[in-house]
Amino acid sequence: MDAITVNHLNRVFKSTDGIIKRKVKEVVAVEDVSFEIRQGELFGLLGPNGAGKTTSVKMLTTLLIPTGGTATIMGLDVVKDAAKVRPRIGFIFGGERGLYWRLSGLDNLRYFASLYYVDEKVAKKRIPELLEMVGLKGREREKVEGYSRGMRQRLHIARALLHDPEVLFLDEPTMGLDPVGARELRTTVKNMQSANKTILLTTHYMFEADALCQRIAVINKGKIVALDTPEKLKENVQDLTVVEIELYGISQDRIARIKALDFVVDVSVEDRDQRQVLHVHTPKGPEAIPVLVENLNGLRLGRIITREPTLEDAYVRLVGGTEN
Amino acid sequence: MLNHLTANIRIFFEGAYYSYRALFRWLRPATYLASKVFAPLTMMIFFVYIGAYASGSNNASFYVIGNSLIFAASSGIFGVTMSVGGERWSGTLPYLFGSPANRWAMFVGRAVMHILDGMLGVFIGLGWGILLFGLDFSHTDPMALLLAILITTFSTSGLGLLMGCLSLITRNVMLVNNTVYFSLLVFSGANIPVAELPRWMQSISQMLPLTRGVACTRTIINGGSLADVLPLLQVEFLIGVMLTILGYFLFKVFEIQAKKKGTLDIF
Repeated sequence: MDAITVNHLNRVFKSTDGIIKRKVKEVVAVEDVSFEIRQGELFGLLGPNGAGKTTSVKMLTTLLIPTGGTATIMGLDVVKDAAKVRPRIGFIFGGERGLYWRLSGLDNLRYFASLYYVDEKVAKKRIPELLEMVGLKGREREKVEGYSRGMRQRLHIARALLHDPEVLFLDEPTMGLDPVGARELRTTVKNMQSANKTILLTTHYMFEADALCQRIAVINKGKIVALDTPEKLKENVQDLTVVEIELYGISQDRIARIKALDFVVDVSVEDRDQRQVLHVHTPKGPEAIPVLVENLNGLRLGRIITREPTLEDAYVRLVGGTEN
Repeated sequence: MLNHLTANIRIFFEGAYYSYRALFRWLRPATYLASKVFAPLTMMIFFVYIGAYASGSNNASFYVIGNSLIFAASSGIFGVTMSVGGERWSGTLPYLFGSPANRWAMFVGRAVMHILDGMLGVFIGLGWGILLFGLDFSHTDPMALLLAILITTFSTSGLGLLMGCLSLITRNVMLVNNTVYFSLLVFSGANIPVAELPRWMQSISQMLPLTRGVACTRTIINGGSLADVLPLLQVEFLIGVMLTILGYFLFKVFEIQAKKKGTLDIF
């Protein structure tokens, strides 16, 4: 049995504006999304900001009612059987909110243990184990307001695991963490997967999805645009070479001109401080460089390199080029 | 079954304790003294003297008792509302609603600490009355007084639960709260005898919590027995129960509404 099944899930948000003449505005956040996640699988939902990742997770965690389609967790419908779904899932949303900052880490865990009906004896044993696992042992009696961002995020993970759920939803768990904190958290996620938990991880960090996930669904503008293993997704761009050109102050017109070249498959621009880096996907390899340079005539250019495409390139190609 | 009941009782009391500590820990001794001891004192002095000036009589006990119970209402309405609204501000609302916890235990349990806090507020108010205005308890039945205060605080907390559930669908619940709180100042008989109000206002007074509690407390402090006030206290209690039940059902309705509209984590 699949741990998670999602069938043609939709979510439309309606908002109204105006006092007398009220205008109703509809925003489609998730459109016809379908996928299945096997038990014990670490599945990534990858997409840019506003792609519909969090909305999807909210629907799967019973916090948002879909406007269309169905979804099940361990065979239970997330709307009709919401009460039965909740004890079987754990979830965290990225960011620092969602904890009681004026309580200690330990009191936060104790309170949530009672909300999840974790037996007091079990909680007494499990809480220290989880604190150890997330590296908060020795700091548990301090108030959460004194924790670093990474510590709070790790406390979130401990909270989500209190009732030993079968399915975990991690919505951008490394968002805003420093590189060391993010690496530690990824190790924790790996450990959870080895404990045979089914995990749905959302992220917009490619390397994170690549390093952790067995399969990845790329979501863009509410729709799934690709679903495969990281290796297979990379294969989509393996016939191409990426030419990276450092430059200063490229205009949209110039990007459009590069895009229009017959040997260019895709173009994306990345901002790096005052510089920009133009990523050009082309089957021509280094031979494309002279023509590209000619088309960038007049701009101050920096380093130019060619490299093999990565998952990020596959992702950029899927979600559209010029988004940073 | 019994295990589940025990677990829900645990959620009820642990929820009461932790949510109070989590959301009201800003009430350190200094802030507590300022907001719960000295601010009520100034309010009480204000109404005692304005009452004496307006009515031409010197009936301080009327205003001391009335305003002491207003402090309970303040704790019941603002405290309980914040105990639900505070979850929205701290971003914990999705985690509470994503948990399997029994909603009744989770929701109603939040009122417990505020009932105790409200009762303490009444005692502080009455204490100021003894110290500054010579409030006389020589004919008072203490158990009857305690019961009247408990029931009145409970009924106003019921109103707080009703207001609190509005936090699930709006961020601006405090605007509504202020209106309700000032309505109680006018309609409950705490500062203006209900009999002096126009008839239409009296009808509103009779529908509100606190009105009967204020009347009962005055009667008891002035020497009345529990038997004298029992019918009124029963109605006050019933109003509290009805408000709590209504609050709970609205809480359930608004939970579904918030999940439909996606407003659970807007703050």
